[in-house]
Amino acid sequence: MTIDRSEVEGKLVLHVAGRMDAESAAQFEAQCDACIAEGTASLVIDLGDLSYVSSMGLRSFVAVGQRLKGKGGELRICRLTGFTRQIFEITRLNQVFPIYDSVESAVLGG
Amino acid sequence: MPGTPQSLTLTADPASLGPVTAFLRKGAGEAHLPELQIRQLELVVEELLANIWRYAYPEGASGTVMVTYSVPRPGEMDLEVGDEGVEFDPLTAAPPDLTLDLSRRPVGGLGIHLLKSFARSLQYRRQQGWNRLSFGISANP
Repeated sequence: MTIDRSEVEGKLVLHVAGRMDAESAAQFEAQCDACIAEGTASLVIDLGDLSYVSSMGLRSFVAVGQRLKGKGGELRICRLTGFTRQIFEITRLNQVFPIYDSVESAVLGG
Repeated sequence: MPGTPQSLTLTADPASLGPVTAFLRKGAGEAHLPELQIRQLELVVEELLANIWRYAYPEGASGTVMVTYSVPRPGEMDLEVGDEGVEFDPLTAAPPDLTLDLSRRPVGGLGIHLLKSFARSLQYRRQQGWNRLSFGISANP
């Protein structure tokens, strides 16, 4: 799994690619926590190139989302596709997090 | 020979995930499974392995996990994941409440729900000190 960090219109965007499994989920959570520690209230997670996610990855999404919510912010997810979209739909996490079609629309929010 | 079971036995810890995934990808290739079903297969086995790391063996104790597959016909795989740990039937776990909002959602508890969504004919049995969970993955669910 690779995580690229960028800033779009003043919002932090993490582009996550590859596989998020029992071995790599902690890496994603640590990156998100580093952003939160810097004072970020809302994070955009771009999953357009994430090919695989297991329940260990979902734990990290829920944990980070709850931490951001506790700070008055939110976790925004964009570009869900293929297997990853299927996993979010089966677990109804697509109704828990705001989901967007593009990075741009996620950054704008609403 | 088609249908001949292939087995891999490893120490039950997170380091086993990579070798097990590679082993199953070989089987999935023999079965000509599409990529979506291969990912579903990998997820089911990862969820089972994670349960074994967490619950089957007391902390500090090492144990084994055995993964077996066969290809009864193109497009199908039969699998079994076994361990010699504490008796545990993951199929008896209570289903998660998927209607809860974010603040009330437990962080975990989705693994069993996911594996039940993708694996066909899930069956648990305790046999001679082994937990054995068998299931099928099909290209035509």
